[in-house]
Amino acid sequence: MIRAQDLVIGVPGFTLKPATFTVPTGAIAIVTGPTGAGKTTLLETIAGVRSSSGGTVFLGDRDMTHASPEVRDVGLVYQQAWLFPHLSVQDNVAYGGRSTRIVAELIAMLRVDALLGKPVATLSGGERQLVAIARALAREPRTLLLDEPFAAMDSALRSGMRTAVLEWAVTHGATTMLVTHDAAEATLDGCIGLHVEAGAVRQRA
Amino acid sequence: MSNSLPRSLLTAVVTLCASVMFLTLVLPVGTLVAGAGVGGIAQALTDRDVVQSLLVTFAGATIATLLAIAGGTPLAYLLARVPFRGRAIVEALVELPVVIPHPVIGMALLLAMGRDSAVGHALAPIGLAVVNSPFGIVIAMLVVSAPLFILGARESIARVDARLESVARTLGDDRWTAVRRVTLPLARNGIVSSATAMWARATSEFGAIVLVAYHPRVASVLAYDRYVTYGLSAALPVAAALIVVALVVLMLVRRSRRMERP
Repeated sequence: MIRAQDLVIGVPGFTLKPATFTVPTGAIAIVTGPTGAGKTTLLETIAGVRSSSGGTVFLGDRDMTHASPEVRDVGLVYQQAWLFPHLSVQDNVAYGGRSTRIVAELIAMLRVDALLGKPVATLSGGERQLVAIARALAREPRTLLLDEPFAAMDSALRSGMRTAVLEWAVTHGATTMLVTHDAAEATLDGCIGLHVEAGAVRQRA
Repeated sequence: MSNSLPRSLLTAVVTLCASVMFLTLVLPVGTLVAGAGVGGIAQALTDRDVVQSLLVTFAGATIATLLAIAGGTPLAYLLARVPFRGRAIVEALVELPVVIPHPVIGMALLLAMGRDSAVGHALAPIGLAVVNSPFGIVIAMLVVSAPLFILGARESIARVDARLESVARTLGDDRWTAVRRVTLPLARNGIVSSATAMWARATSEFGAIVLVAYHPRVASVLAYDRYVTYGLSAALPVAAALIVVALVVLMLVRRSRRMERP
């Protein structure tokens, strides 16, 4: 479960008014909103890589408001992927991996195996996102925060990967927030809707 | 055709400017080395005082650089990554030795760490003294040259996007593990370059050292000593030997770094 209670975020150029929302355990929340609305900042605050100015963040049944990112058990995937450029694709995926078996399974599931021999610097945007997703999932996080993780993929790959990743989240019981600008993703069945705009978060059933 | 003349003129001007600049840098040093001659340099390298001064110089610079890496890298990280009140003042203080005359730094060291200072009294029981000692040479080199390392390392660390550290932390690393596994490897080339620049600057230090530790003589002090005692011709081989050895070391460092690159 992800629960924000009166969460306030203040960073240069962006202020989130006190926001309260809940994403139940194992559920998927689709986060929408215009560019620059603060969707990425919201995810970073829940991940703990950015401090909040007020309010509380619960992950599961624990108050994680002031906890370090490494103890929050979250997986964070940025749109830009942010792969470690000094490591191989294999080492990127295995960076925080729970086990070599899980790493191997994700490499196969996300079709990263064809990329293993390539230097990270030569990967395309979509390929980088695949590796970043595999890297985050390899830790088997209880909370998955995805910031437009399929945006650089072509439509066929995007659809297949979206299905695979969200099925993985459901199977593993990971509570997920997916930021998207894609109309198909924004209207996925069975998902919670969160809309971020003008410094406020509105929750839709 | 109409564009070719101005373009070739521009190329000629750029080449001329670059050549004049390069010659300005190289001419004095080249003239000095040529003046000493191969025979003079070879003879200097068999002079016991010269060899000893070169050893003191390079050992002192190396120890000062290692100390700067140990203490300056964390400081560079804090300045690059952690916003805190008064950071601009701290940065200015770190940079200060670069812009003040080095004899002034020597005076400041004598006041702050000399025999009659509180630090001097504290160091005496463990056998450390700043005045006329290898320790004093290392401290003078460190204070004068470490800013080059710290400021260079800070820029190198700042160029590594902080989000890479953020991702590493969500993957289980605590802050310092993320720095060790991600930030420092990515900033390594810049840090090594900064350390090399610092080492080179430390080997050439004169102004602070001559006040703090005239003995044991580093190469620059020995060259100065020979100049004021015996004249320019006596100082030339010592100075040329310092230049040649420093150039060889710098070229070896640069070559080893080129070989490291994929």
